[in-house]
Amino acid sequence: MSILYDEGQQAIATESRRVLDARASKDRLLKLLEQVGEHDAPFWDTAVEQGWTALAVPEEHGGLGLGLVELGLVAQASGAATAGAPFLTPGYGVTHALVAAGNADAAAKYLPQIAAGEARGAVAFAEGTDILPAAPATRFTDGKLTGSKPAVPGGLKAELALVWASGANGPVLALAELAGAERKAVSSFDNSRLYADLTFAGTPATVLAEGAAATALAREVLARMAVVTAHEQVGGAEALLHIARDYAVTRKAFGQLIGAFQSVKHRIAEMYGLVEIARANCIHAAASAGTDGFLLAAADARLTATEAYDTCARDCVQIHGGIGVTWEQGLHLHMRRARSLAIEQGNLLFWEDLLVETLTGEAA
Amino acid sequence: MSEIETYRAQARAWLESVAPKYSRAARGKLNLSVEEDLALGRQYMAEKYDAGYAGINWKTEIGGQGLSNMHKIAFDAEEMQFGMPNVYFGISLGMPIPILIHYGQDRAWVKERVIKALRGEEIWCQLFSEPSGGSDLAALRTKAEPDGNGWRMTGQKVWTSWAQYCDYGVIVVRTDPTVEKHKGLTYFWVDMKAEGVEVRPIKLAGGDSHVNEVFFDAVRLEDSQRMGEVGGGFGVALHTLMIERYIATDSAGFGPHLDLFVDTAKDLTINGKPAIKDGRIRSAIARNHAMRAGLDSITKRAFAMMQAGMQPGPEGSLQKLVAVRSRQKLSEMALDLQGNQAFDFDPHAYVKEDWGTSWLNAPTGRIAGGSDEVLLNTIAEKVLGLPQDHRPDKGVPFNAIPA
Repeated sequence: MSILYDEGQQAIATESRRVLDARASKDRLLKLLEQVGEHDAPFWDTAVEQGWTALAVPEEHGGLGLGLVELGLVAQASGAATAGAPFLTPGYGVTHALVAAGNADAAAKYLPQIAAGEARGAVAFAEGTDILPAAPATRFTDGKLTGSKPAVPGGLKAELALVWASGANGPVLALAELAGAERKAVSSFDNSRLYADLTFAGTPATVLAEGAAATALAREVLARMAVVTAHEQVGGAEALLHIARDYAVTRKAFGQLIGAFQSVKHRIAEMYGLVEIARANCIHAAASAGTDGFLLAAADARLTATEAYDTCARDCVQIHGGIGVTWEQGLHLHMRRARSLAIEQGNLLFWEDLLVETLTGEAA
Repeated sequence: MSEIETYRAQARAWLESVAPKYSRAARGKLNLSVEEDLALGRQYMAEKYDAGYAGINWKTEIGGQGLSNMHKIAFDAEEMQFGMPNVYFGISLGMPIPILIHYGQDRAWVKERVIKALRGEEIWCQLFSEPSGGSDLAALRTKAEPDGNGWRMTGQKVWTSWAQYCDYGVIVVRTDPTVEKHKGLTYFWVDMKAEGVEVRPIKLAGGDSHVNEVFFDAVRLEDSQRMGEVGGGFGVALHTLMIERYIATDSAGFGPHLDLFVDTAKDLTINGKPAIKDGRIRSAIARNHAMRAGLDSITKRAFAMMQAGMQPGPEGSLQKLVAVRSRQKLSEMALDLQGNQAFDFDPHAYVKEDWGTSWLNAPTGRIAGGSDEVLLNTIAEKVLGLPQDHRPDKGVPFNAIPA
């Protein structure tokens, strides 16, 4: 495990930032906010073209065989640009489940499609207010799923869904083709996430894990996605830090730059602290995937990244004053994304509890 | 195992071999006075010197071991876990002695001082802060005026750690009040036993008296005691403060480890229910764990970068700011959690093992060595490029600044 990025990883970071900067369009993102059922298609095309969908897919299945560190760097660049399509992170979740479950047929069938961007993934674990309910109401019997999953990120257009369900012998992780499910778009504050209620009425699905193995794998998938999302949050938070700094050295009030007022400069320095602490946790978590301490490291990354993005969104708007709350200025793109990312992959309350459980060795 | 890891293991073995005599666990039972503990500390430093763990990253020709900064950090991190009686020598070896090595004029005399300081036979203090300026160092008023071929110094310093036990000190004084405040300062070393030097301990809120007021009444300084140019004292002072970049950090803010909070919560109840199951307590544990893990990762990454020959990033400057603040709040919460049991207070309890003393002494950590506000200003200005505060004394001769 290395905590310093190697040359290849640095190149991925630089290149993904460069590509996204070149293709970013605030107008396009603002329009998407008012359209239910549309994702940022140019971003997704970029992701496929750049091979980001193939990053973590093993080479024998048409992927690049890289991992969480590399995907995290792409996510960080996406977060900075409030770019992103909701399939990238769950697509990685589906990929990891397929790789880890050891179902060779399913892996051989779906992984090349995921790598090529032909099959887009969604992860449907949550029910009610729980991101990973102990006893999901969605049932898996005789190879078929029955039940519903509310507001699944990317659910409206994904081809595949990894579903957390109850089977005859405890929990089941099953992979379903969503052509056989009913989808209903959810109108949201961050519409390009394509939230959709999924209803399964005897939808055929492939079992990837059952019982205790399913629980362990579901947690692992959630933790890995949480680390990707944490990188995305750090990218967003860092972008806001820079936006706030740039504004504070441009805007004048009471005869001086507002950045000379301690109330403003200290607020920005605090943002820097939150960003750097979250970044350090993200680097550590990504590098410790597959080790014993991963769940704890993922929780650390998730908690600090959520706090960083939330605080930076809040304070960056505040530092801008009136202009910060206009539609056109667009800081609300970050505000909205900070909230959607804070809830996807489990909220702070879930991760706080999971961290303490892991730390104290309480029964899960 | 890497060379550093091998070294770390050797250091640990040596520390374990002397721990039965010197560790906090061993000394805790003895109820030593400060003077007795200091005497034991001097013995520890001599043993450490003889074992080859003193002046680890200093050049051999001056009395050091000639090893890298990483070796020093590795040793310090191990040593910190034992609570050895080395606190009296931390400033002495951390700032004044490295500056003496850099600027001292008589090299043979310097080497003699370095070795005596490493062995704990002599202690040096740093005389910077004054009643008129702590954070604003350049506002200091202690003056030195030409006196024949030397100088004569009069004034007062304050917050000087361990001055009552010191043999020498480094000091910044005003030698020219007619120029801007930063430009009229000069740096000297001073004999703390010289005529006209008076040390008066200050009792702090937590009850201990490790800091002092130091008065200088027409104290004679030879020009050979000057370090750096006349008028160049502020630069040397900044150099002094920059030296200890490779210092061992503590994400617990030099207070109790988070495990102690978890243990405290496991033992107690809130309204009859287990405290460890309480959401507020769980949130505090989780948030502190995550924050401290981030600080630890910053430290590890800085270490890895130094090992790779790279310069660590400026994020290391967050350590004290973030860690001590959180220690203060967590200590308050731990005391609250104990209810009336918290009133049972031992002012001599070790701050890393006791919520009461950790809480009562935490404010010192947020002020000494750069207050939170100054650290935030430094991050804002030096790292993020934000403008300086409005400074009415800028460009004004010192003696024309309105009092």
